[in-house]
Amino acid sequence: MIRVRKHLSVALLAALLSAVAFLWATPFLWTLVASFRPESAGSADMASLLPDLHPTLENFRNALESGTFGIYYVNTIIVVTGVLAVQCVTVSLAGYAFARLRFPGRDFLFYAFLLQLMLVPPALIVPNLRTVVDLGLYDTLPGVMAPYFASAFGTFLMRQTFLALPRDFEEAAAIDGAPWWAIIWYVLLPMAKPGLVAFAIVSITAHWNEFLWPLMVINSPGNQTLTIGLASFAMGAEGGKEWGVLAAGTLLVMAPLAVAFVAFQRRFVDSFVFSGVKG
Amino acid sequence: MTIVTRLGMGALALTFATAALPAWAQTKIEFFFPVPVEGKLAREMTRLVKLYNESQKEVEVTAVYTGGYDDTKLKAQAAAKAGKPPSVVLMSANFNVDLKLSGDIISLEPMLKADETTRDDYLKDFWPALHANAMVDGELYGVPFHNSTPLLYYNVEHFKEVGLDPAKPPRTWAELVDAAKKLTKGDRYGFLMPAGYDYLGWLMEALSMSNGGRYFNEEYGGEVYYDQPSMLGAARFVEDLIFKHKVMPQGVTEAGGVSTSFFAGKASMVLLSTGSLSFIRENMKQPYDVAFVPMNVRNAVPIGGASLVMFAGQSEESKKAGWKFIKWLTTPETLGGWSRFTGYFAPRKSSYDKPEMKDFIAKNPDAKVALDQLPYAKPWFATYQTVAVRKALEDEIQAMMNGKKKADQAVKDAQKKADELMRPYVEQTSLKLP
Repeated sequence: MIRVRKHLSVALLAALLSAVAFLWATPFLWTLVASFRPESAGSADMASLLPDLHPTLENFRNALESGTFGIYYVNTIIVVTGVLAVQCVTVSLAGYAFARLRFPGRDFLFYAFLLQLMLVPPALIVPNLRTVVDLGLYDTLPGVMAPYFASAFGTFLMRQTFLALPRDFEEAAAIDGAPWWAIIWYVLLPMAKPGLVAFAIVSITAHWNEFLWPLMVINSPGNQTLTIGLASFAMGAEGGKEWGVLAAGTLLVMAPLAVAFVAFQRRFVDSFVFSGVKG
Repeated sequence: MTIVTRLGMGALALTFATAALPAWAQTKIEFFFPVPVEGKLAREMTRLVKLYNESQKEVEVTAVYTGGYDDTKLKAQAAAKAGKPPSVVLMSANFNVDLKLSGDIISLEPMLKADETTRDDYLKDFWPALHANAMVDGELYGVPFHNSTPLLYYNVEHFKEVGLDPAKPPRTWAELVDAAKKLTKGDRYGFLMPAGYDYLGWLMEALSMSNGGRYFNEEYGGEVYYDQPSMLGAARFVEDLIFKHKVMPQGVTEAGGVSTSFFAGKASMVLLSTGSLSFIRENMKQPYDVAFVPMNVRNAVPIGGASLVMFAGQSEESKKAGWKFIKWLTTPETLGGWSRFTGYFAPRKSSYDKPEMKDFIAKNPDAKVALDQLPYAKPWFATYQTVAVRKALEDEIQAMMNGKKKADQAVKDAQKKADELMRPYVEQTSLKLP
C-alpha cells in the first residue's frame, strides 16, 4: 500500500514537472516548429505547435540570404571571447585586491564600485561613444568591447569567491616564498575556477545577446554582430511579420549558445552549485 | 637597415600610396537607414546604394542598417554628439521638428540655392500633403522618400458570406459598425487595428482627423488637441468597438498580430498602412480589397513614412556629396522602383507618369485606392518631443482598450501629460512675453 502511494506521488511529481517544463519550453518549441513551416506568414496554423507535414528549409535560406551570417558569427565570437579574456584578468585581480589586500578606503571603494550595477546602460551611450571616438575605436570591434573590460558584477563575484577560500593555502605558499602573482595564479585561481566559470556564462550570454551598444558603435557591414543581423527581420514597423523567417533567424542566432550549454551542462550546473565553497 | 625591413617599408609605403589614391578623388559618406517593413528591404536598399557607388566616382556611400525608426534616431543623435555625424539619414518623417529644435539636422535651403532652384520649384513635383512634414519653420529640412497612409483592408469572402456587397465597403463609421457586427462570428472579429506604440498614435490621428479634428497644431510645435471633441469622439468610438459593439478584441494587438489575424481569417476588416500593401498582396490567400479609412465628419488621413535628412557637423565636401546622393535616391525612377518593391507610395507625382508605374497600377488596383486617398491626406503629427508626446496619448488609449480607463478620462489625462512634456518649449516660445 505504502509502496503504491509512493509510486503514485513520484508519478504525480514527474507529471507536474513535465507540465512546467513544457510550459517553459513552449516558446522554443514554437520557434523550432515555425522555422520549418512553409509560408508561415499567411497560414492559419501559424500559432500551432504541431509541426507541418512538409517541413521546408526555405525560411533558413531566406534568413541566411538577408545578411552575411558567416561574418556576423565571427564578429560575435571575437567580441564575446575578447571581452571575456580581458574581464578574467581584471575581475580576478580586482576581486583579489578587494578580498585580500588591506588599504585605506577599501570598503568604501568597493561599494562605490558596486554602484555601477545601478546605472542603466542606455544612460551611458553618449559619454561612452565619445570616449570610443576619442580612442579611435569607433566602428571597430575593440570599440564594442571596451566598455565591458571592467565588470562590477564580476569583481563582486570573484571577491566573494576569494573570501570564501581559507587563507591557509596562501600562507603556506607565502612561507615557501611565492610572490603575490604566483599565489593568485597557482593557488587561488585554480580553487576559484567555479566562480570564474559562473561569471563566464553570465558574461558570454550577455554580450552574445547585446543589441543596442554594438548598433551604436558599428557602421561597416563587415563589423556587424549577430543581433544586428537578426534585427533586420524583427524590426518591421509598418508591415507584417514573416514569422517563419523570424523564427529561423532566431534559431540561427541562438543555436551556438544553446548547443554549448547542452554540451557543457554538467560543468555549468556544478559551477553554480559549488561556486567557491570547498575547503 | 636590413633588406627585409627595407622591403617591408617599401611595401608599406606602397600600400599607403594605393590606399590614398582614391581618397583625394572620392568623398566617403555614411547613410543610416532603418528597415521599416521587413528584412528583404534592407537587401534592396543595399543593392540601390551599391548601384549608386558603381554609377559614379566622386562619392562613396556606406549604407549602415540601423534597426527600427527609434533606434535610428538614437544612433544618429549619439553619433553626432560623439563627433561622428552621419551625412544622410532616412528618418521617420515626423522627427524633423524635434531634430531641428535640438540642432541635429541642417536646413537644405543652401543646397537648393547652389542648385539655382527655389523651394517651391523643388517641392512642386511632391504631393502637396507631404510638404508640411518636409519643412520646419518655413525651410526645407527633409526630402520625402517613401510615404504611406492608413488604409482599410477587408476580406472579400467574409463580406459575401454575411451578405455584404464587397464592392461597397463601409464609408462611414456607422457603416463600419454595421458591417463589423455582421462579420463578427465565433472567434472571428469584424474589425481590428494595431495598437502598439507608433502605430496607435498614427491611427488615432487618422480617426480624430476623420472626425473633423487636427490632432496637433501644424504651425506650432507646442500644441496638441487630445481633449477636444474630435479626439474624444475617436477614443469613444474605439472604446465602443470593443466594449459596446464587441466587434474588436479587448487589449493591445501589435501590427504583426493584426496582419497575421487578417491572413488567418480571424479578423475581417483591419486598419493597416499602405506600406503593408506588398506584404499583404504576397501573403493573403483569400481575396481581399482595400478602401478609404471610414469617416465620421470628413475623409482625412495622416501621412506616414520617412524622409531623407542631413546631419549637422559634417564638412562642406561631405554635405555636397550627401546632397548628390539624396538627389539620386529621389529621382522619379528610383522612387517609383522602391514604391513598387515596398508598397509605399512614391512621393513624386512624376513617378506615376513612368510606363512601368502605369503598368503596375493597372495590374494592382489596390495600389490605385491608396493613391486616390492621397488628396485627403494631412500632415503627420510632429511636435516638440514628438515621441514622448505621442506616447502620452498611446498609454492612455491602451489603458482604455484594456478596460482600465474610460475614454473621457483617458483623453483628459493624455492632454495633461502632453502639456507637461511640451511645457519647456511653450515657456520659451508662446508664453515668453516681453
